[in-house]
Amino acid sequence: MLRLLSARVGVAALVGLAAGAGGGFALADAIGGSVPGPASKAAALDRRASVATTDSNTAPAPAPETASRPIPARMLGDDVPVPVSPSVLRVRNGWLVSDGETLVAVYAGAAGDEPSVGRVVIVRQNLAAGKQTVRVVDAGFTGALAIAAAPLGRAVETSAQTGTLRLRAGGGGLLTLDLGSERVSHDAHTARLP
Amino acid sequence: MRLLACTVVAAAGVLVSAAVVAATPNPVTAWYMYGGSPSELRSNAYAHGCDFAQGQPGTNMRVLLLDFGAARKLDSSTWGAVDFSNTRFSNADILAALERAADGYHNCHVRGSVDIVYGNSNFHLSSSGMAATDAWWAGYHQSRRSENLADYQASNGYSSQTSDAASDMEPSWESAAVTKQLVSGDQAQGWALYYDFGSADGCPQSGSAGGCNNGWHISDVGYVSYAGLALPLPEIYYTANANQWTVVRKWWNANTHGGYFFLGVTASTGVGLTPASSWTALSSLNNGLVESELACFGC
Repeated sequence: MLRLLSARVGVAALVGLAAGAGGGFALADAIGGSVPGPASKAAALDRRASVATTDSNTAPAPAPETASRPIPARMLGDDVPVPVSPSVLRVRNGWLVSDGETLVAVYAGAAGDEPSVGRVVIVRQNLAAGKQTVRVVDAGFTGALAIAAAPLGRAVETSAQTGTLRLRAGGGGLLTLDLGSERVSHDAHTARLP
Repeated sequence: MRLLACTVVAAAGVLVSAAVVAATPNPVTAWYMYGGSPSELRSNAYAHGCDFAQGQPGTNMRVLLLDFGAARKLDSSTWGAVDFSNTRFSNADILAALERAADGYHNCHVRGSVDIVYGNSNFHLSSSGMAATDAWWAGYHQSRRSENLADYQASNGYSSQTSDAASDMEPSWESAAVTKQLVSGDQAQGWALYYDFGSADGCPQSGSAGGCNNGWHISDVGYVSYAGLALPLPEIYYTANANQWTVVRKWWNANTHGGYFFLGVTASTGVGLTPASSWTALSSLNNGLVESELACFGC
């Protein structure tokens, strides 16, 4: 990548020269006036390309104290940022819990490219192991899903991570998300409420 | 003058052609930050830096992308982000976490180098009370904190590290007018490359122009991904995404001074394309114009 980016630095500088020369490279009106182009990146790309592969300082830095604060299970409102792109999920709502070591976040809604398909996205983090997983689970043609009932509070910070969430489908029907198996079942009428 | 310009551009083309076409890269982990508290944010960032270093493939520079959530104006003079657990962090808190990520990478460094990136998003900026000017300042301060991190890296002898900024800029989340101010603010401050790891949601999959979701035009996606210090590191989760970003590239090259290239790809597990096939999908449509970065959420 270093060789490629080094070439880009040269290209950026040259294209910038061309733009500076005013040789028919006026920017489109569509983006509204003068916009700094590739030349503006040249210095930053050059800085990036000049980074070494070893540290001049070999002494270890002090590690911070491990801080693992549980997050009681709670619903996430529509003002809370969603990490999942709208191209994957049109979010209706979310739910989050952490016991300080492992974290689970569930986002419910519809598939980004097909609003009739109900979808949940499950984000898990294991901070001790340095692992993060993202799982997309489709429920079929249910319409957008929303989390209708979920374990809440401090008492379930660990147990809820493999528990169940009740989902309401676009047509009003209920489904169950089993976080243990990460599957959605449509026979919600037989599922136990969390 | 026109001849001079054309000659220079032709020379640039030769440079591009001479570049080595990269093989499909190995993915590196990008992180959604769920902090809870400033101390937890620092602790998590340190762990992410160390884990990243221990698992870093190859000897190239790779991007350690830490996504701190949505950019926010916290009070009249404080900018920062609200993370995915709905905790608000000032830029001072975020800088402290980024410094711990730098420490973690240093302590666990095996090979290669790293670009530690302050990531945020354009999620609901206006509805949180931010005006376009506030978004401009958010981008400005984001770049400034990235420069502060670079100062920290330099002063501690972390010569295998540098720092930049990034934003998950999604057309569906905010207007183009406000979102573009993030890029403009970053450019005005002048330090950080600004990696766009968002989507071209709703943009056309063919041709070289058209509209996108939420009133955006393909030119707006071009702006937030390539104007000033912006560089595209787009989410390629489905083949459609690769098609859309190819249209963005074509629009930019046809209507501005050109030169559009991709730093790489942002991928995820659990979606339509595997991380490797995400990169290949974009590269196959933009031959020689996709650098070998492959940041992956969930890898």
